[in-house]
Amino acid sequence: MSDTKQTGDGQKKDHGVLYIGMDLGTSRTSVSASNGVRETVYSVVGYPKDVVSHKLLKKDVLFGKEALEKRLSLKMYKPLEKGVLKYTGDAKMDAEAKLNLKAAQDLIGEAIRLAKPRKDELVYCVIGAPAEASVKNREAIIEAARAHVDSVMLCSEPFSVAYGLDWLEDVLVIDIGAGTTDLCRMHGTMPEEADQVMYDIAGDAVDAELARRIEQTCPGAQFTMQMVKDIKERYGFVGEASERCLVDLPVDGKPTSFDLTDSIKAACSILIDPICKGIHKLVASFDPEFQTRLKNRVLLAGGGSMVKGLDSAVEKAMKERLGGGKVIRIEEPIYGGANGALKIAHDMPADFWEQLR
Amino acid sequence: MGSFKDTLKESLRQLAFRTSIDSLKKKGVQQVNVLGLDRISSLIEAAVHRSLKSKLVGGEREAVADATKAEFLRLLRTNEDLQREKSEVEQQRERAEDEVDTLRRELAQQQQALQLQLQQDGLTLAARYDGENTAIARKVTEVVQSLVQSGQLTTSALEQRLMELVMDVVSGERQSAETARRALHDREVDNLQRRIKKLNENLAVTEQRLQHVAAQKSVDGGISSVYREVQGLAGGEAHVEKKKELMAEIFKANLQLQKKLGKA
Repeated sequence: MSDTKQTGDGQKKDHGVLYIGMDLGTSRTSVSASNGVRETVYSVVGYPKDVVSHKLLKKDVLFGKEALEKRLSLKMYKPLEKGVLKYTGDAKMDAEAKLNLKAAQDLIGEAIRLAKPRKDELVYCVIGAPAEASVKNREAIIEAARAHVDSVMLCSEPFSVAYGLDWLEDVLVIDIGAGTTDLCRMHGTMPEEADQVMYDIAGDAVDAELARRIEQTCPGAQFTMQMVKDIKERYGFVGEASERCLVDLPVDGKPTSFDLTDSIKAACSILIDPICKGIHKLVASFDPEFQTRLKNRVLLAGGGSMVKGLDSAVEKAMKERLGGGKVIRIEEPIYGGANGALKIAHDMPADFWEQLR
Repeated sequence: MGSFKDTLKESLRQLAFRTSIDSLKKKGVQQVNVLGLDRISSLIEAAVHRSLKSKLVGGEREAVADATKAEFLRLLRTNEDLQREKSEVEQQRERAEDEVDTLRRELAQQQQALQLQLQQDGLTLAARYDGENTAIARKVTEVVQSLVQSGQLTTSALEQRLMELVMDVVSGERQSAETARRALHDREVDNLQRRIKKLNENLAVTEQRLQHVAAQKSVDGGISSVYREVQGLAGGEAHVEKKKELMAEIFKANLQLQKKLGKA
């Protein structure tokens, strides 16, 4: 019944196999595991600034929401940028780059800990990495994960989303993250470079645009980028507004109500054009016999897909530019990538895992 | 199989609660129907078999029944492991608390002993001073009386005898002061002070350990995976051949990447 293995550190593992699927994102890192655990953490890492803050916080490192809450006592790192690690692999990289790499390694370790693996189980992990990640970047992710699991593999993030839904042929996945919007065409094989398009207009760009508009339209309003992000996540929409977006922002210390409906709509709408351009490019260069099928199988995934009305807006734009199309938003945008990676981990044959240990 | 039945009976026994006949009577119960542990465990087993029989065939049924029993035993063992770990941590905490209590008591006793010793020293000193005062007064009286009796009570003679007396007392006092100075460094006092210092250090370390144990609010052993062995694609799945090819491609890309990493 049970599978008895001896790990490198000499620990006997004979109580089963835990599969972990991880979506390592610029804004959030999510994990789904075969023990039923599903967790997500903001991709931010904080280290105590000095001895006093270390003594106060009683921790060497803080992650996600906790780090954001205690950020005044911490030196903060956001180790991913535009979907990839802030790490070039250059031997001469400066101290700041090294600290970013360490933060990324600690973040991966934390994500695996969140999956609550048992010490006596084999842990096999698949990490969905951005399609555009460099080899050095991939190596850094593998190295960081290896310290915590028995075997690890990387796969393309949009591919894992499609695999998780069992849509393997003639499907176009749009993964809207914080740093990048990735479009990937699936046609039954592993996607190649020509099957993928990436734009850096994504969640962070929407935040920046919204911040710019608030500055212009709300005189005296004080806010941080985190507040702007929260507003976007709460109200983000395109198309017709179902409600007015009334938001309280401090003006000279006094909470003041502002109507941000138009600003939010305009900021979120910047996503539509690059998505349509990408769809157009991937559809136009596809086998003409299957172009209609591809247009009717567009999947919207990632945190950015939670913008209300985005699926309808993209469909409308496709009708104008491509004569029609059908866009489906996946059920769990936050966990779509992690669920797909978990399915890949499950389906991977035992000897493949063994060879990578 | 015997051990499974025993384990099941043991579990039922653990889950049952005891009550007295009197308390049942108080609740208005006059008669009870008795069902033995053997009978209950047989009923559970029969129910599981009947359920499996209606849904599965021959060998498959046996395999599922065996797997279920094994899983049941495994879960029991896991629970026992967690209970053991929890009780070890609790024992560790209790031991640390006992140690802190003992050290605190010992420290209090040592401080009391030191206080007593210092008080006794004070009393001895006071008694000695009283004795010395009496002796000085007696000597002065003797000197004056001897001069009166001998008829030599002149100013110079009195001055000389008193000077001799004072010098005698002063030299005696000097000796006593030296002894007192030495007494301050008395070995016993030194020992007591050293022991107090050591006890204080031990107390600090133990309290730190206690804080550490208290911080480990509970033992988190993780959550078990639903899989006991490595899975892979099942034969009956949709697009199984295509998926196998895709898995092989992902593996090849990763093997290449990780080989490179190994070389570096």
